[in-house]
Amino acid sequence: MPQALSRAAEPRTLLTPATIPAALEAQAAGARLLAGGTWLMRAPLRGETLSGAFASLHGIAALQRLDLTPEAAEIGAAVSHTRLAQALAGIPDLAPLALAAGASANPGVRRAASLGGNLCAQAFPAADLACALLALEADVDLERLSGPGRLPLAEFLARREALLPGALVAGVRIARRPGRVGAHARLPLRAAGDYPVAIVSLAAGVADGRLLRPVIAVGSVEPVARRWPELEAALEGAPLDPAAGAEIARGLLDGFSPREGVDAPGWYRVEVLPALVRRALAALAALAPEGAP
Amino acid sequence: MTRLRVNGEPLALDLDPMTPLVDLLRRDLGLTGAKAVCREGFCGACTVHVDGEPRLSCLTPVGLLEGAEITTIEGLGRNATSSDDLAEGPGEALPTPLQRAMLEEDAVQCGMCFPGMVMALAPVLEAAPGMDRQAIREAMTGNLCRCTGYERILDAALRALRPEADRKEAAR
Repeated sequence: MPQALSRAAEPRTLLTPATIPAALEAQAAGARLLAGGTWLMRAPLRGETLSGAFASLHGIAALQRLDLTPEAAEIGAAVSHTRLAQALAGIPDLAPLALAAGASANPGVRRAASLGGNLCAQAFPAADLACALLALEADVDLERLSGPGRLPLAEFLARREALLPGALVAGVRIARRPGRVGAHARLPLRAAGDYPVAIVSLAAGVADGRLLRPVIAVGSVEPVARRWPELEAALEGAPLDPAAGAEIARGLLDGFSPREGVDAPGWYRVEVLPALVRRALAALAALAPEGAP
Repeated sequence: MTRLRVNGEPLALDLDPMTPLVDLLRRDLGLTGAKAVCREGFCGACTVHVDGEPRLSCLTPVGLLEGAEITTIEGLGRNATSSDDLAEGPGEALPTPLQRAMLEEDAVQCGMCFPGMVMALAPVLEAAPGMDRQAIREAMTGNLCRCTGYERILDAALRALRPEADRKEAAR
């Protein structure tokens, strides 16, 4: 006979819906969605009360999909960082996401933390996947009781506070673009196993040693990851030269409104960006078929 | 009601499903090997195995463990059959090769991080016995030791993997 443990129940329930509609119905009835738990379970440390009903997304098979075709990568919201890193390892055009998933936090967190959670944790500025997915120009697939929808990640990040109470992030879709390569550079305070002070993700084509349509995203500097359009414009057609790229980046830092934090002051987060750009470009050069000029 | 097994013992739980696993282990079951130190997944001291995989028990709600097999440091190696085990008596967990190597390398300092270190490393070393020192170091990035005893822990992990290995590598 199993040993039975019982105690006065706290007013919390955990639902385990098997389908997306069932999860949405639970959400509509007031349940908070629970994915990997690495953000939600830390709520007490943030001074938040964890009470009421929760709906786990673990049992929903559709959220575990990870489909790679020559046209697109479609990744379910419940895919863990570890699985993502393993599945995408060695794919040059998806390198930012593979590197982000494989370097974020630490092995224990990566085994549990999900892609969807990384996009939905609104108060978490150091989201590696969000930054990488911006560089990859990903779209977010949302499910609502009224039906599904798809929108660019940048728009989702800008509107998620309003969107999420009535929606579930089902996954992301990345249109694959032949010939593009990418990189993900982050600066944690310790060499590994920590959240980054700043992140630079980039994706670009490379032809004749020059950058083609670079897409560059910055994370952890401001409260929400975003593109760096001034640097993208400045590097369009520029030689793939890490040192020169870093110097160009140094002249384009005025547009950031960095966040202060106990881990690092705002000015420092901005100050390290040129070095991260240099590292990202160097990694890109190593991946690019033609390398640096 | 959540049904699971802890160190082989079946349990039926009727408690708050959002209870972190580490609290069930420590508060309700008296299994205090896993330590609730940071409660945010960054120190690794609460690491246990869920169905054989290292899991941060501070971030794992009990309600998600239906049917799961939980192994804590107290249960690790319980099925070992080596004749030179260090068990102290019937029912005592038998140290695994990793635990023995930790003893032999005198790697344990204050002991706070240590159960988590062992639980994090054991399945990783088993899955990839060819790991070198750097790979082991990377596998330990989620386990903090404030005694800064990392190097001897690495020595022990290498010793567990390759008892006859070149000691110069372990000493580096």
